[in-house]
Formats: sequence, structure tokens, C-alpha cells
Amino acid sequence: MSENTSVPYSLVRFKRFFFNLLRNKKSAAGLTLLSIFVFIAVAGPLLTPYTPLGSVVSAQLNPPSWIVYFTGPLGWSQNAEFTGIKASSITGATLTTTSIGGDSASFSAASGASGGTVEVQKFVTWTYPGPAKRFVTSLSITPGPTILGQTVIATVYLDRFVGGVRDARWNIFDKTIDSNSTFEVNLDSISGDLRVRLGLSTSNIDPAQLIFSRQADYAYALELTLPPSANIDFSLQNFKLQIRGSTWGWLGTDQAGHDILTQLIYGARLSLIVGLLATFIGVGLGLVVGLIAGYLGRIVDEVLMRFTDMMLVIPGLPLLIVLVNVLGPSLTNIILVLGFLGWMGFARVVRSQVLSLRERPFIEAAKASGAGTGYITLRHILPNVVSLTYVNLALSVPAAIVGEAALSFLGLGDQTSVTWGRMLELARESGGSATNLFWWWVIPPGIGIALVSLSFILIGFSLDELFNPRLRRRR
Amino acid sequence: MKRVLNTVLLIVFVITLNFIIFELMPGTQASISNLVQNPRVFDPTQVARLLKLYNFCKEVTITGPHSYNCVPTTIWDRFSAYFVNMITFNFGDSFQTNKPVLHDMIQTGRLVNTLTLLGVATTVALLIGTLLGVVAAAKRGSIFDSGSVTLSLITFSLPTFWMGLLFIMIFANRLQLFPSGGVTPAYWAIKTPDLLGQFLTRVQYLFLPALTLTLFFYGGNLLLTRATMTEALSEDYSNTGRAKGLPERTVLFKHALKNASLPLVTNAALSFGGLLGGAIITETVFNWDGLGFWLFNAIGWKDYPVMQAMFFIIALCVIAANFISDIFYGILDPRIKYE
Repeated sequence: MSENTSVPYSLVRFKRFFFNLLRNKKSAAGLTLLSIFVFIAVAGPLLTPYTPLGSVVSAQLNPPSWIVYFTGPLGWSQNAEFTGIKASSITGATLTTTSIGGDSASFSAASGASGGTVEVQKFVTWTYPGPAKRFVTSLSITPGPTILGQTVIATVYLDRFVGGVRDARWNIFDKTIDSNSTFEVNLDSISGDLRVRLGLSTSNIDPAQLIFSRQADYAYALELTLPPSANIDFSLQNFKLQIRGSTWGWLGTDQAGHDILTQLIYGARLSLIVGLLATFIGVGLGLVVGLIAGYLGRIVDEVLMRFTDMMLVIPGLPLLIVLVNVLGPSLTNIILVLGFLGWMGFARVVRSQVLSLRERPFIEAAKASGAGTGYITLRHILPNVVSLTYVNLALSVPAAIVGEAALSFLGLGDQTSVTWGRMLELARESGGSATNLFWWWVIPPGIGIALVSLSFILIGFSLDELFNPRLRRRR
Repeated sequence: MKRVLNTVLLIVFVITLNFIIFELMPGTQASISNLVQNPRVFDPTQVARLLKLYNFCKEVTITGPHSYNCVPTTIWDRFSAYFVNMITFNFGDSFQTNKPVLHDMIQTGRLVNTLTLLGVATTVALLIGTLLGVVAAAKRGSIFDSGSVTLSLITFSLPTFWMGLLFIMIFANRLQLFPSGGVTPAYWAIKTPDLLGQFLTRVQYLFLPALTLTLFFYGGNLLLTRATMTEALSEDYSNTGRAKGLPERTVLFKHALKNASLPLVTNAALSFGGLLGGAIITETVFNWDGLGFWLFNAIGWKDYPVMQAMFFIIALCVIAANFISDIFYGILDPRIKYE
């Protein structure tokens, strides 16, 4: 490595150290696993277009789409969206379209002497073997000023076509319009109104299940019935109907229809941040306390170690619970509390190492040449305990991640953010009782926690072997 | 003597810590100053009663329909009163039930429930962990060895509550072998079965939480036993035993394990705090109405008397466990003497 003298020695040493680490099978596995998680954590927003608790992506509590490979496709469906907007005149009216496309249309309708009806439609072909689970519709319509003094009846239908012939029609909304202000229609199949309208008030069936139950072509239609001899402009916006199927994506949805994969990805980010920051605080404190106690010795050592022992005896989780409860369950507080309760073990290790270093000849030599306490501690002792720090860093992160998860699970997590622990809390809470646990919601966060812990443990163990060659021989 | 002094010092430390935490609690001071500044809103006799009850005033005299005089206590007064309350187990009334905390803890059967769960899980975990650890050390390098080490590493790194949830999903919801939570079935309130029936049902309810807690605890124990046993088996006395022609079992359990058990006892005492933490979570997962589940409910209710009492009692248990392990140490290894 000495051929390239422009590279600083510390960098060369790091490179050599890194290659040693990669040569070890265990640490290579750990590093690979960890870098996958770090990538997920860093690239989170690029990997998923949704937000963990903001976007509703499908119906509530949908299992993952790949479940059909195990259960067979029968009875399952996925999301579908109506497309292909089309405006036409049905009876006694002439329709002039000025613009049409996507979710919007502008047109003017002129009716004859006996009135007339025009229609805007969008279509979908329902190909799934199972019924839909839920649908949501939206439209907003703005009539022109010529409507004033007249009344137009707007009706929203869902039509089913089999073999090109309409065989069923459901009237899901109607309203009389007589002003030129915009009005909006937003329907959700889960709402009580729609159930009553379709005669489903006493059953458990969602209107979506009733309507989208056959493989057929469907139309989402807005009909406007005009009075005689009228000529009115209309501007239709946001004309959409989303059908939510009974399966979704890679990992399904939660109680409110949020994407669990997105929560898992954002959870990785927060869990890693909490674990790393808490560990940095804990290891830093442990290092300082251990160095001071070990090098200064005497009364300082006695007091610090007595305090350390006391803190070691106090049960961790109850103290965590009480402290977070008192300080308030924010992410910052959780990190601080986890950090401030995680230094004791490491302080003891550092102290004993410092005690043995203190008696070595090179310290004597430094002292003899007039070095001060601070200089010796920083320049001679600290570099010799750094290897301990690496090991402890790696081995403390899992404890911090699991600690945060446990706190979240007990309801003491940050209520505004999604960590893996909070996902599990939500999975348990939303079910209402333990009999309503959904595997696609419970299993992923636990596996996340376990794999991250495993990667740190693997790295920590192999670092330990690397720094303590004695361990290698004993195996 | 030094041990006893240490233990006493620890108890004082725990009480002080507890006092500091709850004294610094943002809610208390704010609500008290609110009481004092807006006496109009409240009935002064009630306010006076509360101020005395929570020891914020030494003396309260009601001077009018909406005013009173308060001689405030110093922090030292409050601390000494708090200290006396703690060591006499006078924890005040629970906010949830308005009954003394100690009553809610013991008379409701919570203490017994927790002790049952902890007792069963600890015993099983210690037995299995030690036994498997000894076998793994004896057959070092075999498939059994690496298998049990891997398995215990896995159960060690899995979060307890997640394991609990998995068990509920598999054994309670899917296979319907065990109930998903609770200590006893609800219908017992109406009709209690005979003793054998009671026992069997109780075992059924205990099984999943005990299994979870056992899995949480046995792994560390196995790894430690394996490590200390490996060390002990390479010592001279083990070789001597074998050379004498003693059966392998005698060497393992009578010679090696006896010498290897010292760190095991220390570890059992040191990990007692962690075990109690595991119990809090396990009880919450399985709605097991013990002290941990009670503490969990107290969090939701902001029931500070219960939280204080639980923290103090759990810390006391851990301190006691350490003290007992120290004494055991002396019995197991007569070379260690305490004056």
C-alpha cells in the first residue's frame, strides 16, 4: 500500500481495515444487509410515490396482490380507473364540444322544443374475477350564465354493459341545478347515503361489491336533462371514478387504505436514525465517563463508577417509560432518553481498558517527557480504545431500535411519525382486538427490525474478532 | 456489611431519582400554579384539600369564599415526605380507581398473575437454556451446537412483542389452540368450573405469554452457559474427571456445570431487570392482567401514582435480586467471603 504516498496513512489503514472486514463472511453479509437498509432509508421518497399516512392508495385492509398465487385468483380484484371520456347527446338536444379529454370536458347543449338530455361518460372493463371492494367518485360542474332562470337535472349513473348492451343501471346521485356556480359531487361507496339509496342499508355489502361483481364493461355517466329550448354551456372538471379492489401492491394496505410498503420504507429511515443517534449519544457519554474515571482514578473514579453501577441496576424499560411519559413522546425525546440510558455498560468497558493502558510503558514515557493529562488521554489513550467504540457502536444500535419499537408499541411513540414500532402499534390498535391481526401488516415491520438488528450484530461480532485476534483462535 | 450498605444506598438513589423525575414533571407545577392563580374557578375547600393532599402547602387556611392562604412547602419538605411514603409503601390513590395503589396491586390479583407468569417463564427458560447450553458445549461444533446457537441468536434479536403478535396470529387466531389474551375466561364471572377445569383453563391462558417470555429469556442464558461450560470443560479438573473414568454426564453436570454456574447466577440477577421489561411488554401483548399490563394502562391514564409505585417496586425487585445473587455467590464459591 505504500506505493501511493499521496494517500494519507489513515485512509490507507481504513481501506485495509475495510477489505479485512469484507473478507470475513459474516461481516460481508452484515454489511450487505445494512447497505440495503441504508439505501432504502436514504432513497425512500424515490422508491415510493406515496406518503406513509397521507395517501390512500386502495381499500382498507387489503392483502398484497401476490396472494392470488397462493389462493387462486377467484374472489380477488385490484384497483381500476375509468378512462376514455366521451360526451354525447341522447334525446332532443344538440351537443357542441369545445374541448374534451382526461378528466374534463367543456361543451354547450341546446335542447329542442320538448327538452333534451346530454351525457358524459367514462368507461372501464372489469376483468377481475372477484368483486371490487370500494369506489370513490368526484366531479365538479360549472354551468354557463344562461342557466339562470331555468332548471337542469343532473343525474350520475353507473351502467353495466354485457356484450355491448346495457343490462343494468344504478342511479347513484341526482340534483337539480339552477345557478351558474360550481357544484361538486364526491361520493364514497362506504358512505351511508349511498347504501340507503341502493337498498343496502341493512346488509354488509359495499355498493362497490354489488355493482362491480361481474366481468363486464362499465360506464360512469353524468346525464344532464335540459328544459325546452335552452342553450347552456357546461364545464366539467375532475370527472373521475376510482374502483378500489380487494388486493393491493406488494404489502397490502392498513386500516385506512395507506400503503404498508411506503410505511415500511419510511419506517426504515426513522428507525435507523433513532438507533444511530441514540447509540452515538450513549457511546459518546460512555467514552467520556470511562476515560475520565479510568485516567483520573481515585475519588473521581469511585464516584463515577458507583453512579454507573446504580444506573446499571435500575431497570431500563420502566425508567424509559416513566421518562418519556414525563418529557413527552416526541422523536427527539425518545432519542435523548435512549441515549442517556445507554452509556453505562460501555463506560465500564472503557474504564477497565484505560486502567490497563495507564500502566503501559508508552504512557510512562509520555509522562516522563512532560505530557499533560489531557494530552495523554486524547493522543495516547483515546486511539487505543477506539476499536472498542466501533464494536460497541455496532452492538448498541439493535438495542436502541428495539427500545424505540417497544416504546412505540406501548403507545409512547411519536404520534406524528411512522416507525416500525408504531406500525406494529397501529396494527394492534386498529384491529380493536387481538383476533383482528393481519399478517401483511404485522410481519413486515418485525422482519425489518430483526434484519437490521441482525446486520449490526453480525458486523459487531466480526469487528470484535478483527480487533481481538484471541477470539479468532479460540473458535 | 458493605453489601447491605450498598443496597440501602441504591434504594435511596432510586427514591431520589423517582422524586426528581416526578418533581420535574411539567404537568404538576403548572396545574398547581393554575390552582393558586385562579382560585375563583374552584371550590376553595377542594383546592385546600388537594394542596394538602399533594403536599404543596404546609398549612392552608380558607380566608374567604374564593381565597385561601397557603404556606408553601420547600422541596426538602416534599422530599422527606415522599421518602417516608415510599419506604412505608404508601403510594397514594390510583387516578383510575381512586383506591390505594397497594390495594389495586395486590387485592386484584395482579401481583399473583405477574409472579405466576414470571415464575413459570423464568424456571422454564433457565432449565432449557442451561440444559441446551451444556449439551451444546459438550457437542461443540456439531449441528446441534450451531443450530441451537443460531436459534437462540434469532429469538434473542427478535422483538418480544412481535413474537407475541405472531403467536397470537398463528396459535390463537389461525389454529385456535389457545385464547388470544386475558388471564381467565369471561364466563368465569358467572359460572366457575371445578378445580381441575380451572387449572387446565388457566394453563391454556398462561401458555402463549409464558412461551413468549421464555423465548425472550432462554437465548441469552444458553449462550452464556455454552461459553462458560466451554471454558470449564477445557480446565484440568474436567480432564482429570475423564481420566478417572467418570461418566461424561458426571463430568458435565457435577464438575463443569458447578464451576460454570457462578457467572450464570450473576447473569440471572443482572438480566432480571430486562426480564421485567420483557414481562411488561408480554403482558401488554396478551392483555395479561398483571403489573406490566397495569403499568401500560397507567401510561394511557397518566396515572402517576401507579407509575411511580411500579417503577419503585420493579427497581426494588431488581435490587433485591442482585443482593440475593451476591449472597448466592458466597454459597456457591466459598472462596468469596463477605464481612
